[in-house]
Amino acid sequence: MISLRTPFGWVLRFLAVVTFVYLLGPLVVIVAASFSDTGYLAFPPEGFSLRWYHSALGDARYLSGFFVSLRLAALVAFFSLILGTAAAVALTRFRFPGRALLQALFLSPLVLPGLVLAVALTVFFSTTPLAPPGMPRLVVSHMLVGVPLVLRVMLPVLRRVDRAVEEAAQNLGASPLLAFCLVTLPALRPGLFAAGALAFIFSFDEVEMALFLGSAREAPLTVVLYGAAQMAMDPTVAAVSSMLILLALVLMLAQQLYAQR
Amino acid sequence: MSGSAELVLDGLARRYGATTAVARMDLAVAPGELVALLGPSGCGKTTSLRMVAGFVEPSAGRILLRGRDITGLPPHRRDIGMVFQSYALFPHLSVAENIAFGLKRRGVPKPEIAARVARMIGLLQLDGLEARLPRQLSGGQQQRVAVGRALVINPAVVLLDEPFSNLDALLREGTRIELRRLQTDLGLTTLFVTHDQAEAMAISDRIAVMHQGRLEQLGTPREVYDRPATRFVASFIGRANFFEARPGPAGGSFSEDGIALAAPAAATYVLRPEHIRLDQDPPAGPNAAAGTVELMSFLGTAAQAVLRLPGGRALLVEGPAALADHFRPGSPATARWSPKDLVALPAP
Repeated sequence: MISLRTPFGWVLRFLAVVTFVYLLGPLVVIVAASFSDTGYLAFPPEGFSLRWYHSALGDARYLSGFFVSLRLAALVAFFSLILGTAAAVALTRFRFPGRALLQALFLSPLVLPGLVLAVALTVFFSTTPLAPPGMPRLVVSHMLVGVPLVLRVMLPVLRRVDRAVEEAAQNLGASPLLAFCLVTLPALRPGLFAAGALAFIFSFDEVEMALFLGSAREAPLTVVLYGAAQMAMDPTVAAVSSMLILLALVLMLAQQLYAQR
Repeated sequence: MSGSAELVLDGLARRYGATTAVARMDLAVAPGELVALLGPSGCGKTTSLRMVAGFVEPSAGRILLRGRDITGLPPHRRDIGMVFQSYALFPHLSVAENIAFGLKRRGVPKPEIAARVARMIGLLQLDGLEARLPRQLSGGQQQRVAVGRALVINPAVVLLDEPFSNLDALLREGTRIELRRLQTDLGLTTLFVTHDQAEAMAISDRIAVMHQGRLEQLGTPREVYDRPATRFVASFIGRANFFEARPGPAGGSFSEDGIALAAPAAATYVLRPEHIRLDQDPPAGPNAAAGTVELMSFLGTAAQAVLRLPGGRALLVEGPAALADHFRPGSPATARWSPKDLVALPAP
């Protein structure tokens, strides 16, 4: 351990503070501006008011957007968990030619810019309408990133699982599937929770694909926000953004608490 | 033999591509018998055990359990209890739930499960720990839970995979005696994998010595030590000196480095270190060699020496602890042994 009382320790402290300011600064600005008593975005806020929250929660567009996003993110998290975990099991348990290549391929959507994916998918779906437009198309598209997110969390988790424990369950009379469910799955629970939370948050916050592939009637919250921000930058947008930040924060905290249990 | 045996390995083999992990192994374990599969790592002992448990599919041969061919059965349909090297306890289940796991899978009624788990907990002196999770137990306690979990289902055969290797030296000896007592009391037919020859000697009825996938010798600890079948067995179990006896030009037989031997020529002889005596008189006649003491280790109950002979051979000698008082490194000494202690290896 490096002692924080040495000169080098002070340098570390300083760097940590700078990093946090850099990461959290924009969030502070948005959250502070949402409480401003002005009709425009103001930082530092002038006065204090909750009326932008009232107006956000009273606006049907934001509310329906919120529920569309909730449904979308839940579906993406659910299906990504199933596919991603199954893929992670196969990649960690079975030896087959091209395994490393397949793993790289599965993870590759994570490094593509969202806009590139969105444009590519728009072109793809216009020629081959595999999934019906609207929610199903958006779920499938988001899973393109959701599955790799789950995979990246679950691969190391599954590598750490002691295979002998599953063998012990089989030895005591559990079929391979039952052994996996009774013994391995409980050991994976914190990992599954973290992976699901990541996929959920990604889908909930995603803009580009939602903008390109979503339908106007069922617009996710981010698309509604994007539209509102283009029309008039009033603090309602900041209030909605603040609530989104709060939601993500709560999810991440819950996941941390669960993992440390 | 196979009629009365509980477990029979019949020509069991396993190949991985071009390498042979286990080559045609034949072994019959009698009811209530404890047989050790002994050998260095990579000798095929663990692969053999895993074939019996059903985790490795044999390339050839059969496994018979109480006369029934179980070769094609999946692990969960075999009536076999296994204690894993890592114990492999279920981390999210309590001690009692770990032990009850196998009984639940077999659909045993709840009251009976409770009774049998309680009996096993008493038998293994785990009282008061029923509700603990595995990570809240000491290594020795974890090992006992692993044993209890495997025994409570009354399996036809118990497999032990290096069950003592994760215990510290002090605990190991007591635990192996406990396990041996439990095994004889309950009359458990047991196959036991170990790389520790002292452990195998201490608790086995018979030892199967394995080397490079082959079964080199099967016998009681006494037989394996006193009449080793191969050079490998002689050097792996205990320590040994070897002499290649050849006929001399003027009759008699001599070792490859010219030591006169009072034994028939054209054989390989094993001489155990404890059968060699050291003194300071010059050698006269066969079965004696003069050299210089190179190393002397005092071990409390005994002393071990290395005697360097002029021909270059390092002769291993073991004697009473007083040996260390009479001979110091650098002092000259003569080694002597009697002809009856030269044990000939069977011709290959």
